[in-house]
Amino acid sequence: MMEEMREAARALYHPLVRKWKEAGKTVIGYPCTFVPEEIIHAAGMLPYRMRGIGTTSLSIGDTYFGPVICSLPKCMLQLAGEHAYGFLDGVIITNGCDSMRRLNECWRKAGEDIPGILPGYFHYFGVPHKAASYSYEWYEEEIRELIKSLEEHFGVKVTEKALRKSIRLYNESRRLLQKLDDLRSGTEARMTGEDALTVILAGSAMPREEYTALLKTLLKDLKKALPIDKGRKRLMLVGSSNDDPEFVRLIEDSGALVVADSLCFGSRSYEDLTNEEGDPVASLSRRYLNQCRCPRMFGCYQDRLSLILDKAEKARVDGVILQNIRFCDLHGSENGIFERDLEARGIPCMRMEREYGPLVETGRIRMRIDAFLERIA
Amino acid sequence: MKRETREYHYDWNIWSIIENASRTGDGTRKEYDTLLKLIPHFRDSLDAVIRWGEPGTLLLKLLAQCLNAVLTAHEQGKKVALTTFCFAPPILHAFDVVPLVLEPMTVLGTFILQRGTGEYLDYCCEVGFTETSCSSQRGALGAYLAGLGVRPDFIICDSPGICDTNANSYAFASAYLDIPFYQLNYPPFLTGERASAYHRQDFRGLISFLEEQTGHTLDMDRLRQITAEIRRQSELITEINELQRIVPSPVPGIFNLFLYSGNFLMGGTPGFTDLLESMLKYIRGRAAQGLAGTRSGKERARGFFSYIDHYTTDLRFWTFLENRDISHLGCILSTFWQEDAPYSMEHPDAVYRVEDGDLDAMIDSLAMQVSRMPMIKSIRGPYDAPHMWLDDTLTMTRLLRADFVAYFGTIGCRNTWGMVKPYARDLERAGIPALILYADAFDDRVQSWDAVIDKMQEFLSLRKIGTGRPARRPWR
Repeated sequence: MMEEMREAARALYHPLVRKWKEAGKTVIGYPCTFVPEEIIHAAGMLPYRMRGIGTTSLSIGDTYFGPVICSLPKCMLQLAGEHAYGFLDGVIITNGCDSMRRLNECWRKAGEDIPGILPGYFHYFGVPHKAASYSYEWYEEEIRELIKSLEEHFGVKVTEKALRKSIRLYNESRRLLQKLDDLRSGTEARMTGEDALTVILAGSAMPREEYTALLKTLLKDLKKALPIDKGRKRLMLVGSSNDDPEFVRLIEDSGALVVADSLCFGSRSYEDLTNEEGDPVASLSRRYLNQCRCPRMFGCYQDRLSLILDKAEKARVDGVILQNIRFCDLHGSENGIFERDLEARGIPCMRMEREYGPLVETGRIRMRIDAFLERIA
Repeated sequence: MKRETREYHYDWNIWSIIENASRTGDGTRKEYDTLLKLIPHFRDSLDAVIRWGEPGTLLLKLLAQCLNAVLTAHEQGKKVALTTFCFAPPILHAFDVVPLVLEPMTVLGTFILQRGTGEYLDYCCEVGFTETSCSSQRGALGAYLAGLGVRPDFIICDSPGICDTNANSYAFASAYLDIPFYQLNYPPFLTGERASAYHRQDFRGLISFLEEQTGHTLDMDRLRQITAEIRRQSELITEINELQRIVPSPVPGIFNLFLYSGNFLMGGTPGFTDLLESMLKYIRGRAAQGLAGTRSGKERARGFFSYIDHYTTDLRFWTFLENRDISHLGCILSTFWQEDAPYSMEHPDAVYRVEDGDLDAMIDSLAMQVSRMPMIKSIRGPYDAPHMWLDDTLTMTRLLRADFVAYFGTIGCRNTWGMVKPYARDLERAGIPALILYADAFDDRVQSWDAVIDKMQEFLSLRKIGTGRPARRPWR
């Protein structure tokens, strides 16, 4: 079962996606957790969170993006340009951050030069940066437009019944992931951070029904598993997107255990549930826009600090790694204030700037992790 | 930060320099020439402004007033709002709140101080900013974070949805200084009832925030006066925009800086109206004589700077253009989208109108004005969407008959660096020579001014711009 999860986490076009496509079904890619997966699922399609794994060059990414841009969307564009995302029937771009939202233009322009890389369905989903009555309404309208465009383009129907069912299913899997968090961050941790990330990543790229079933089995097995945290420093990982289990392994190989996180390829994607009563579109709007966990939601620093403090206390962490991808100023700068405020409360922190992509910086990162672990020993 | 830097309050320091500078034009020419010899570190900046006569002196006097208002606000029982250049300040003036606008404060430090604002930029990184964050805020913000300036009472920014790094600087300042924060957040498109309703509701939220922070309600009479002032200013700006279309352009390049810095700091105040009238008097005179706004009165090329300008020490950017008889036709910062502007005619739904029928109409006018401010209007959506950056640049270059477009930005500008390459390619495809400069407009350490000059000269030379053999343009 973990092997299935690993397969789904380490390849873009993994067997479960292949099977889905072979059944003649549709896959829709999206780059950010502010896109409501439930809508895509309710349309009978596979919501697939895009990543930039496996890139060996940025020749295409650098042609369209400027030089001072986060390497995550550049890697995504590179993969798109190399036809690695050819299995996507559609893509929904959102303004998660400025680097990511420009994937819209760069992909379209690359599509003019490289035939066949632009999916037939290419939709822009505008997400407000604040939670207020009118921004909830805006988000609701965005959802309704998304539904309409999916229906028109693919000739499908998103019924209220299907949407409610999708909401329940996603809530169920999010609850299971929360239980997984308990087993990971409890007094006796039963899962490595590397495996936890693998499980979360798998969920972003496989049919949710199968994923939920796998999660249930995994949880049963984990309850019987032996604790693995003895003698290891318990760390929390915070900051920019990380979809690389090997990065977590690098940290854990130094004698630590990543027992908690605040990452979008991580707990941020399942900590909130959608209200299953009332208008489902309105409920989704509340669920997605209420997430103040990403610094793209400006002016919510204290909320994010409280969340990290609660989690650090609950997981009894010995230290926090505050990392950001270079040019991710939202996370990078906020990490600076987190460092001030967490250290003031006696929680040791390490800030780290890194590049997204293959671990070319392994030596440097390992040295810094070792030094941090020595500090908190 | 060095100890000697810590000995000066940044805003007091800048105010004292500007205050003294503003008096230098009051004496005789002989006195002024003698003074220049005595102030080697300031003379180039000073002369770049004062040599234009009354408008230059007036700008300095008004800047000194603005800075003094910041310094004395708390003594006078007024609140200070830390805000951004792309926020139109009239609503603050209506509440008698003093705007402290970071980017102009950075610009002032960048061109006046011989060492630039490097230490303040770096101080931001010492307290947590990434070194890749936008320099336009960090240049002055470092001083305020270090306690070397007036402590603002609250923060208003209108860049969420437009520019992450701008919004992030203000969000950081709010968290770091632990002061209230209000964001105007913009949707990814400009027109239509849905976007307009969002603009209006968000702006009303701002008014509630200001009422809460100041303890007073919006004064209708004061708002009416400000609205009348905005109307007059919109007319005057439109006339400048029209005159800029003449070949040769009678508008001195640096007047663009006067125009936008005035609007960012004093929009809606009588002082800004006076400045615009003074500038217009000068420009009309040049136009009547058929002279360009350059020092020689000649025009060899016309350039549109499609994003921002370069604010290197001593205002050398403008001097560089003037010495080469290149007319500066404006940048994104000098386009405000008032309804009568020449560039607005083809985009009637993308403009703002000044309405003063009742309180709601006036508030809506202000909301629309803010939503059309530089960058807020054009950088919110895909660059090639209607009313966005490419559309606007094509309109401007056609109307202004620009020979080339140049892009200056900051290393922190994810938003434009995310697509400036395809943007420039689209401009080239439309027949407009386009240059991307990899400099930082506020931090010479990223790329020296000499390197910038080299790039510009190489570009102008290779593209045969200003050589007397104008390149073919679609509109010629």
